[in-house]
Amino acid sequence: MINVQRLSKSFKEVQALDNLSFSAPDGQITGLLGPNGAGKTTCLRIIYGLLKSEQGEALINGIDANQDPINARRQIGIFPDKFGLYERLTVREQIRYFAQLHGLSGMELEQRTELVINQLDMSSLANRKSAGFSQGQRMKVALAQALVHNPKHLILDEPSRGLDVMSTRILRDILREQRAQGTCILFSSHVMQEVAALCDRVVVMAKGRVAAEGTPQELCELTGESALEEAFVKIIGSDEGIAA
Amino acid sequence: MNMTALIWRKEFKDALRDKRSVLAAMSYAFFGPMLMAVAFFFLISQLTDPSDVEISIEGKEHAPELVQHLQLQGIVERQQPWPDTVTPITLSIPAQWAEQIKRAEPVTVTLRADWSAQKQQTEIKRVERAVQAYAAQITHYRMILRGIDPRMAQPINLSKQDLATRGSKAALIMGSVLVFIILSVFWSGMNVAIDISAGERERNSLEFLLSQPLSTQSIVWGKGLAATSFAVFGAALSLVLIPIIFNYVPLQEIGMSVNFSVPMMLLMFVLLIPLALLATALQLFVSFRAKNFKEAQTYISFLLIIPMAASFGVEFARLKTPILYYLPLTGQHQTFLSLIRGEGVNWLGASVSAVATLVLALLIGQLIARMLKSEKTVFGL
Repeated sequence: MINVQRLSKSFKEVQALDNLSFSAPDGQITGLLGPNGAGKTTCLRIIYGLLKSEQGEALINGIDANQDPINARRQIGIFPDKFGLYERLTVREQIRYFAQLHGLSGMELEQRTELVINQLDMSSLANRKSAGFSQGQRMKVALAQALVHNPKHLILDEPSRGLDVMSTRILRDILREQRAQGTCILFSSHVMQEVAALCDRVVVMAKGRVAAEGTPQELCELTGESALEEAFVKIIGSDEGIAA
Repeated sequence: MNMTALIWRKEFKDALRDKRSVLAAMSYAFFGPMLMAVAFFFLISQLTDPSDVEISIEGKEHAPELVQHLQLQGIVERQQPWPDTVTPITLSIPAQWAEQIKRAEPVTVTLRADWSAQKQQTEIKRVERAVQAYAAQITHYRMILRGIDPRMAQPINLSKQDLATRGSKAALIMGSVLVFIILSVFWSGMNVAIDISAGERERNSLEFLLSQPLSTQSIVWGKGLAATSFAVFGAALSLVLIPIIFNYVPLQEIGMSVNFSVPMMLLMFVLLIPLALLATALQLFVSFRAKNFKEAQTYISFLLIIPMAASFGVEFARLKTPILYYLPLTGQHQTFLSLIRGEGVNWLGASVSAVATLVLALLIGQLIARMLKSEKTVFGL
């Protein structure tokens, strides 16, 4: 369970988050939907403790990452806004490295590493160095790094950007699998279709605030529109920065 | 599993696979002593130059004995014309030479040259000395002929031994070798230090690493130790190579002998380890603040001035204060100087400076760890 309460954050004159509150329950996929610059990445970075909020708190399973970053981060798997890979390490070495950073060792380390490699269907990539990988292959490695320690919470920052249809499908399958295991999944996106196809709950963000919250169905009903996209435009009041 | 060790192992493996980092660490240790040896070859051959001095001699037919004497001293008449850029050195012998010598009158021999020309200094001096020596010879004969002990005319025998220039040149040579050794720890780990800090940021993997459940201290020390390992390796390599290469430099020709003994090299190596840690800490501090690899490289090249100033500066300014023995960097330099001169080592100074170096490195490391918790540094806000 991720609980965000009255978060406020500003960078110089720009108010990035303004009294933002929402929660992402376990066993559900919560989508953070908003146009570019709505504050999605800022919000996620505060949740995993890389940025400090000026006001309010973000709790992961009751732990505030600003107070106790190490224990908070043990609970989560992160797919960050920028996921650079270590191009001189093989895929397996990279996955093992992050598994070890999460405290895995011995048999558990080997098993989890193999499991996640098979789960993402990348046995053929496992012993290759990641230099020259395609965007889809890189996404898989980043996802494997986030999943290898079997976290109870997954935070993904626009995971589908730059992916082709096949890679997007793999991503969605994995997320659904994780949901079935009871994982709390919070992911940000500005892609309407993806949110509509995947999310149990949608939090629509605009200008650092929650503009609306509910299931895709509820949002449509709320605005009296039949398609989520139209509902979204109505909620945020402009169609700037949305990809269909 | 210890996180620091884990990061160290990963960064070390990563850096070993980076050809640029390995090459940077090796090339300094390899080409540095080589370059120095070549420079010393030139210096030594210049200092011990036995070749003839070529000058123009006017009226040499008037005094064949003088010309012969000069020839014996290695001063010969120039055959080729003088180049435009060089002022000729000309010795004029007057026509009345033989007559005036016969009458024991002073003969005026003129030496024309440019005394301010640095390059001709030694040549001019050699001509002067040769002429004076010939004059002294004549005095000698004349006095003996008149039944006077020639020593009468030499109440004082000033024995000039030209050790000063050689001595200072030798000090310069050894000084630059020491500076080179000290710089090796700054140079060899530099590329790794940039790669794991500014490079990590540039490749967009820093954010993910910082989001993992481990303290920033572990990250800084894991990375710091990886770069330090390269720095220490570079230092060891240059310490091994310098004695080998200097074996081939004819230092004995300028009256110098340097004894690189194994215990001395080991002591130097041990003293270089804390310095390597300090160098790495400084480099990480600078390059974690840089936005990318290039920016970090620019800042770090400024950083290289510190060890150069600390060692060359002290050497040239002839700065002598006991504090130098106890400070980081200058302490190691002073100890190395004592070692290479074969003097007793100020053990207290060497230990205090080693501890001071270590403490400073640790403080800088803690500072970086704090920096990495600040969103301003991490995201360059």
